Amino acid sequence: MNDIERRAFVKGAAIGTLAFTVGAADVMLTPRQARAQNVPLRTLTADQAATLDAVGETLVPGAKDAGITNFVDQQISIPPEQALLQARILNVRPPFANFYRAMLGAIDGASNKAKGHKFAELSPAEQHDFINLMRQNKIEGWQGPPGPFVYTVLRSDAVDVVYSTMEGYAALGIPYMPHIAPTKKW
Amino acid sequence: MANEKVDVVVVGSGASGSVYASVLAKAGKKVVVLDNGPDRPLTDLISSDIWGRRLKPAGGPILLGGKNPFAYANQGAYAVGGAALHYFAQFPRYLPTDFKMKSEHNRGHDWPIGYEDVAPFYDKVAEQIGVSGDAKAEEKWRPPGKPYPMPPLKIFPAGKVWLKGADANGIHLIPMASGMNSTTFKGRAACIYDGWCADGCPIGALANPLVTYLGEARKAQAEVRGLSNVTRVLTNQAGTRATGVEYYDAQKQRQVQEASVVVLAAWSAQNPRILLNSATDKHPNGLANSNKLVGKFMMTHHIAGTWALFDEDITPHMGTVGAQFMSYDRYAKTSYPGAFGSSFMSAGTSHKTTDYAQSRGDLFGPALAAYMKRAARGLTHLTIFGEDLPNIENRVELISDKDEYGLPMARLIHSFDNDAVALWNANFDQGMKIAKATDAKECWPGKGPVMPTAHLHGGAIMGTDSSNSVTNSYGQTHEIGNLWMAGPCIFPTEGASNPTYTIFSTALRGAEQLAAHWGSVAG
Repeated sequence: MNDIERRAFVKGAAIGTLAFTVGAADVMLTPRQARAQNVPLRTLTADQAATLDAVGETLVPGAKDAGITNFVDQQISIPPEQALLQARILNVRPPFANFYRAMLGAIDGASNKAKGHKFAELSPAEQHDFINLMRQNKIEGWQGPPGPFVYTVLRSDAVDVVYSTMEGYAALGIPYMPHIAPTKKW
Repeated sequence: MANEKVDVVVVGSGASGSVYASVLAKAGKKVVVLDNGPDRPLTDLISSDIWGRRLKPAGGPILLGGKNPFAYANQGAYAVGGAALHYFAQFPRYLPTDFKMKSEHNRGHDWPIGYEDVAPFYDKVAEQIGVSGDAKAEEKWRPPGKPYPMPPLKIFPAGKVWLKGADANGIHLIPMASGMNSTTFKGRAACIYDGWCADGCPIGALANPLVTYLGEARKAQAEVRGLSNVTRVLTNQAGTRATGVEYYDAQKQRQVQEASVVVLAAWSAQNPRILLNSATDKHPNGLANSNKLVGKFMMTHHIAGTWALFDEDITPHMGTVGAQFMSYDRYAKTSYPGAFGSSFMSAGTSHKTTDYAQSRGDLFGPALAAYMKRAARGLTHLTIFGEDLPNIENRVELISDKDEYGLPMARLIHSFDNDAVALWNANFDQGMKIAKATDAKECWPGKGPVMPTAHLHGGAIMGTDSSNSVTNSYGQTHEIGNLWMAGPCIFPTEGASNPTYTIFSTALRGAEQLAAHWGSVAG
């Protein structure tokens, strides 16, 4: 079997899709599509979503439109053994929804304390500075999972939706070359 | 619910369990293999670092503790085929010195066997499942053996760029011995170097259990039951014989699988947990644990990684996730003043976008975006694994938290000692010297506050008798003759090279012993 034939394992969609609930039905969409279609969130509140959008965009430009919030919301709403989150690999103990609530709560709590506003309401420069301090565990009065760990987990989520999809590879000019491309199957 | 009694029940379907299943099924035994993960077809092995995470555990039943917790989820498995479904398939051997640490250095343990006892099984495994490499070149560091059945894998720029730096430091890099096909092998395809190996290889070029030993076991009528969580080994009233295992099936229903022989091959953390949870009035400390050595001497390699960034396009995404080159030139246990333990080097693995991002974990925002573009063209890595000595305080123990079946979960407690920390630091220094002697534009150590870990060993170590160990050299427990342990749990020391080739080989040695002495073991 030559290379081309073997790569013919590739099938279906060019981008990994997940099951999002639209109306009463499960619809297969990419996180970016889910965001563009304003798919209702299952687990995160509007405030939590705004925080995650803002943190994601600060960590990796493009993460907001790539659907980081829809991605995380869908992933923390399914059984942990089905989840695709880096939190899984970092030994976070399920349920993952509790962990994400704790992370986002810690960020907004610290932001409110230091700046009098939630993270999403800060200026881009303030958001950058906040994340830089959180990364180094230098935010006084921080309450929640350790700041550097929060940074690592949410940065990984943002990297996932921006760079680790097939379109993310294309944007970097890297051939994706899958044996089996991400499809609707998982 | 009780099932029809079988000859042998194997708990775990990874590198060691699959070997036992294959050998015993082909010997005509009725074999059932139980694995807690789903039984995925090869077509489920999607080429994606995101989707590949489904092959790994999500939470318990092992929690982590100690100063240097083990990277459990990253190394573990949630799939039939075990961690060998997503492993890097680097196939270096242990060296003779690894089997004689106590004799040679008065540290750690001796194995009750030597390199010469395992070497024939290295050769057999190579012939059975395929190894690509240059055996002759390895003989600089080890006794001669048979040539590998396939030549080395292809070399790509991300590996080749390390040769200059290694040479300048007197380090000889040779092609990595790999459990991936450089040519077609026994009907399995040759590698196409797309670098998605760690997310599962669906074309069969990588020797994962689904296409090797477990596949052979199935052909010989072994039955594999996925989503089967084994909770306890059951024993007879006298406590002298294992009678089978208790497990919970995919519907969460309790099942009992009776068997003449029980083989625990559920990895170094879960194997001790099962033994400890199997306590009875005859075995109040857990099975095979009257000496209280079950769960002890947990060991893991520490990793000193060095990154190098080149201006030219070295196609970092190409190749295999296993490295292109390896060296044992710092393997002697006293290679560095002030440190103790072996070190094993490998260079030039394929990298994907998650690796690019992780290589500079300090960057975010526009700086990360700019870096990702550079990394996509010019990033490469040198890895040095370092040895962790057996320490009885590094252990698996039961805790009060319960799993969904009501049984105690376990905590894996691990801390590196001063020798390991000194070795880790020395390996970073070595890595940077090599990197600086390449033509890289930039290089930096992948060093943070956390000591990265890989590979898990110990928990039911082998030895000469029950005063110093849980099993004999084959994995047969000293206390219950028809209860066998398989995998890295029986290793008394861990060397510094990737362990899976040695896991396959010691499992093959144990399985053949069991098959040859079936009557006396099974009763």
